[in-house]
Amino acid sequence: MASETNTGEIKRGPIERWVAKAIKNPDRAYRSMFYTVTIFFLFTTLFPFYWLLVLALTPENRLYQANLLPAGFTPETFIRVFEVIPFHRYMFNSIFLALMTTAIVLLLASLAGYVFGRLDFPGKSIMMLLILAISYFPPAAFFLPLWRLFNGQIVPGIELYNTPGAMILPFSALFMPLSIFVLTTFYGQIPDGLEDAARVEGTTRLGALFRVIMPLSAPGVATAGVLTFIAVYNEFFFSFLMNNGQPGNWAPIVGGLLQLQRAGQFEATFSVMAAGSIIAVLPVAILVVIAQEKIVSGMTAGALKE
Amino acid sequence: MATEQERAERERVGGTGPIASVTRWMENLSDTQFAYLLLTPALLLLGVIALYPLISTFRMSLFADNLAGGLGEFVGLTNYVDVLTGQRDVMLPSPFLPEALTVEALFGSALTVTLIFTLTSVFFETIIGFGQALVLNQDFRGRRWVRVAIIIPWAVPIVIQGMIFYLMFQPGIGLFVGDQNPSLLQQWGLIGSTPLATTIDATMIAIVADIWKTTAFMALLILAGLQSVDRTLYDVARVAGASKWQTFKRITLPLVLPTVLVAMLFRTIQAMRVYGIIETVAGCTTVPSLSCLVITSFNQTLNGTSATVAFITAGVIAIVVTVYIVGYAREEIE
Repeated sequence: MASETNTGEIKRGPIERWVAKAIKNPDRAYRSMFYTVTIFFLFTTLFPFYWLLVLALTPENRLYQANLLPAGFTPETFIRVFEVIPFHRYMFNSIFLALMTTAIVLLLASLAGYVFGRLDFPGKSIMMLLILAISYFPPAAFFLPLWRLFNGQIVPGIELYNTPGAMILPFSALFMPLSIFVLTTFYGQIPDGLEDAARVEGTTRLGALFRVIMPLSAPGVATAGVLTFIAVYNEFFFSFLMNNGQPGNWAPIVGGLLQLQRAGQFEATFSVMAAGSIIAVLPVAILVVIAQEKIVSGMTAGALKE
Repeated sequence: MATEQERAERERVGGTGPIASVTRWMENLSDTQFAYLLLTPALLLLGVIALYPLISTFRMSLFADNLAGGLGEFVGLTNYVDVLTGQRDVMLPSPFLPEALTVEALFGSALTVTLIFTLTSVFFETIIGFGQALVLNQDFRGRRWVRVAIIIPWAVPIVIQGMIFYLMFQPGIGLFVGDQNPSLLQQWGLIGSTPLATTIDATMIAIVADIWKTTAFMALLILAGLQSVDRTLYDVARVAGASKWQTFKRITLPLVLPTVLVAMLFRTIQAMRVYGIIETVAGCTTVPSLSCLVITSFNQTLNGTSATVAFITAGVIAIVVTVYIVGYAREEIE
């Protein structure tokens, strides 16, 4: 095509030839630009994971040689993670905390979503605004009183510090607003007729919510659930500050990885840190691959609605 | 509303046990009463875990520090005055206001380093996020997998995000920091030999880490905006002979701008709270963000000051939110 028309013209280098082609055929230029940009984005988002893998596979004493390829091959580092610290316990804690929070949030946000999506009552918009306003505040603004409350300094006898409750309660309060907005949208879309039909059949109002509206909005409930699970699993602030980092005290992976990092100042544990990071990222990575449509719809619905 | 007949029917079926009577009581509530009954658990949780701490933090901010623990005497707004005028800086683990107008001082102060972090990361996230959204808005084979790749950093736990960048810039591992042979970044003078322990370098690393993780959020929101643009407008533009760049500038950009602003607002609020990535990559003494200052002063039993800084952080966020909302409203009017 373009090369044929070029014959007989002045001699050109490969880049000039490419430019000449691009000018004659702009669509081609757009397409190659598109692929370049896409590959660039793929590289920047995925390279850090590859780098973790390189570090995890390189033996600890040869890390300074690790470059774009691992200097050696020691897959047993992935097993050492569990020997150096009880990493399985940290993983269990993280998943347990995330599942418990998700269950609480889904229950409470379902009730609230039903109210906001399907009922009209005085004070509705003020209530929604209040819930929204709370989620604007930084976690640091809640921290001091909660820390004192959970250490029994306000109500003697209530000592939740170092227990799951000290994290599940703040997580639930923090991440519930998003689920409320997602579920309000979904529950509001169920036609009134379906609920009325169930009511005529003799179902109670709550029964209609749990037996008709929730199952019909299953995608919405799943969306809210996946988003809450990921948010809790990713959380740092309360996960770090509401326990002393010991696995027996319900510290999640934050505690485990920081313990490895701190140990790293005395003995080389960088490979173990990299291997632990890869293991801990797997649950959410799998979740993203399985539920990416839900995540996309939930993130956009939640944010744009608010 | 339940008719008399239905109610009789239900009473006959439900019997007279405690569950049945609670059910009957619930069924007879008005819509408003029922709404508030269902909201009670959520409001109770938010009340105890969010509203009460907020009010309590505000109350604590009105009391002096007591180094022995607890709170000192009531001092009204003195804490706010002292922190905001920089008089408290000598007592704080890191200054609230910059001590001088040098670059080092700007990065060393809680207020300015948080603003630098927020502005820089949100700026780059918006631009890169827009690029990613434009890519995802095309139809091509493997689009689903490209989208997964772009979302995955967003789903990575903050502590692992921190580990990744901690390991990348760890001297002695040698991707970006070399002991014997300095890396390109070092040769260009962008980072020193111990970037994680240097305030400016560590702030930059935290910014890059933040951009890496949260651009996906921006991209997905902007993508939603792109997909809601009326396709026929593009057809009209093509018939009128507009180039791709003209179409983008005249049609895409104005229509997507409101969504971009909303996404930027959300990211700004989150970036102003930055804590976890700093704690894992460099530590709060190296990069003293506002949230860091709350925790470090709390650790030194400066409870009153800590609460004051927490509320000032919320105040700064509120100011930024107001700026956005005014800008958004102006955009809507035009």
